[in-house]
Amino acid sequence: MVTEVAAAVITDVELMKASQIGMKAIAAAIAISGTAIAAAWAEMAIGSAAVGATAENKDVFGLVLLLTVIPETIVIFGLVVALLLIF
Amino acid sequence: MLTPRQMSRLLIVASRDQLDPVIRELYRSHLFHIEDFVVEGREGYDGFSIGKPLPGAGEVSTDLVKVRTIENAFLIRPSEIEPTGKHLNAELRSKIEQELPAIEHELGELTGRRSRLEVTLKDCEQKIAEILPFTEIPMDMEMYRGYAGLTVLAGYVSKEVNIPEPSEVYNSAGKARRFIVAVFKNDRRSDVDRVLLEATFQAVTIPVESGMPRARIDAYKEQIAKVKAEIDQINRRLDEIRDRHREFLVACEEILKADIERAEAPLRFATIGQTFVAEGWVPKNRAASLKDALNGATGGKIFVTELTVGEHDPVPVEYDNPSFARPSQLLMDTYSRPKYNELDPTIMVSIVFPIFFGLILGDVGYGILLLVMCLGLRKFIKGEEGQQLIAVLRNASISSIFFGVLYSEFLGFPMPWPYLLPSRHLNIGAHATGHGPNIPGLMMMAIWIGIVHITLGRILSMVNHSRQDHGSHRVKAVLANAGWILMIWGILFLIWSMFPMPLMPDLTGLPPVVMGLNVTAVIGIAALVVGLICIVRESALEIVELPSIFSHALSYSRIVAVGLSSVAIAMVVNYIAIGMLISPQLENITLVGVIFIVMGVLVFLVGHALNTALGILGGGLHSLRLHYVEFFTKFYKGGGRKYSPFGLNRRFTED
Repeated sequence: MVTEVAAAVITDVELMKASQIGMKAIAAAIAISGTAIAAAWAEMAIGSAAVGATAENKDVFGLVLLLTVIPETIVIFGLVVALLLIF
Repeated sequence: MLTPRQMSRLLIVASRDQLDPVIRELYRSHLFHIEDFVVEGREGYDGFSIGKPLPGAGEVSTDLVKVRTIENAFLIRPSEIEPTGKHLNAELRSKIEQELPAIEHELGELTGRRSRLEVTLKDCEQKIAEILPFTEIPMDMEMYRGYAGLTVLAGYVSKEVNIPEPSEVYNSAGKARRFIVAVFKNDRRSDVDRVLLEATFQAVTIPVESGMPRARIDAYKEQIAKVKAEIDQINRRLDEIRDRHREFLVACEEILKADIERAEAPLRFATIGQTFVAEGWVPKNRAASLKDALNGATGGKIFVTELTVGEHDPVPVEYDNPSFARPSQLLMDTYSRPKYNELDPTIMVSIVFPIFFGLILGDVGYGILLLVMCLGLRKFIKGEEGQQLIAVLRNASISSIFFGVLYSEFLGFPMPWPYLLPSRHLNIGAHATGHGPNIPGLMMMAIWIGIVHITLGRILSMVNHSRQDHGSHRVKAVLANAGWILMIWGILFLIWSMFPMPLMPDLTGLPPVVMGLNVTAVIGIAALVVGLICIVRESALEIVELPSIFSHALSYSRIVAVGLSSVAIAMVVNYIAIGMLISPQLENITLVGVIFIVMGVLVFLVGHALNTALGILGGGLHSLRLHYVEFFTKFYKGGGRKYSPFGLNRRFTED
């Protein structure tokens, strides 16, 4: 009787641990996917404007390249959060 | 080193008859950055006017236009040609007289013939297109015309047409569009038109030809082949001429360009009566030698003096960097050239950029691939900027190899020695074992780098403000930057006193002194308060920038994040290629297994090629961004004018 209860408790604990790991993985996935979409959205607008500006004047290439990569920070933060969640 | 090259402002005054020797000497020395004379608004230049070009400028311009026209026709670009030797000026000038008209004549004749042939070619193709619909009707082309009482119509209809009037109709087969030819009496025209209109008739011009359509098309095709062969022959002949005269033409352009620049130089000088005045900039250490040279060239009939450089003078900026840092000037120019009285951070960029790149890519295999690529491309990429870019990439790839050794990585595989930096090896695949990456360690490393880099930026800002500003504003600006440094380190001290963190001093165990806070926390709070006061004293609006302390420091975590993603891609490629495709098949080789192995090798090659490209982009762009956004915004403004001395770097000619 006691061993059966003990076994049931152990299974429950294992299940809980496993589901915790799963939830962490889902949380990490949401963190990275949300920020990735946000960064892509931001870069979409900046990128098209940047290409337009470069077509008008080649000298601004350095500046617009810089402006285009600015929203990358969003996804980097997402990745940092995801990594901290998992490890 | 940390500042642009020191410049002197020279004023040259001489009589007009000395214009030629002075301009020659200035051009030869290639040191004098001419300050263009503008008639209006110059103090002390009342009554002066712009000089007139030297005689002969017009003819030289005509010759230069000729040379450039020929170069354009031959698609010759001087920047893409490596000089094999130098042409002598005198020889060239006599050759320009004799050979240039001959080349121009031959080129004109050949290109003229070619364009005539091209017109014929187009013509033939057009005719074939016109005849093509008639090929389905077996009738001589002559039969379509020459009737007095009959009308012939040809064109496309959307459905089969039955003309009730007495007529002859050829219908070709076709589902969507049918080609028809209708022959009918002239007086039935309106009735036929109505029927055709119902079938959405689109008329086609009947070509004026004689003979069967097929035979005509063949004849035109034959003609096209002949014309094409002739055009090829002309192109070969043009290539021959181009190869023979290429160097001569670029040398001509160089010498003529020099002549024109010299002849038009007086347009940039101020003149009054029989005197001319030229103002410009010379590197300080070369000013004396230029003065002597000018005195020598004119026999002393010249007055040259150094003017004082005012604080707001638009001094042209020439970099003054050791040779290893020179390629990084490209990265500086992409952002903006430093101003004359500003610190030039090129040398820091040249050291830190490769370090960031190496920390991000950090793989011996990719580093070697990049290095080989750079060494290979060096021969093919022409032009100064291209060479600089290659040199920057080369330094970055060497740094990648170095950090690859420290990270113990080779194309995502671990190397036989332990890692010296926090591990980036991920557990990828079902059977992967190991510690996994040391994320907290890596993060702290990146943030430390960020804190040091940002602090350095603030210190440089203090130096810049102390050099550029005056009075109370100077003190405030310097103190504000010190305030930012205090804020950063104050926050750090506070964190240390409360939380133990990897790679950071653990000061949580110190005994509390005030309100349960230990001595580190008190120092931190004091630093925060003093820092805030310093910042607010300069500008209260700066308070909205306070969160940037965190966001900028955290932004350096991209060094880890981008690097880890590159490691992950490499390891996934290895796992798919070797773990899933190749190694299971090696145990028992079958025909299908060989296909799997080939696929595995393909995945390996394509995957790593892609990851190398991503590595260059990721490593390059992100380390550049850390410089431009996080580092430069602290102290650097830029906007300096480029120092471009009067004269030419002669590549193809010599005196």
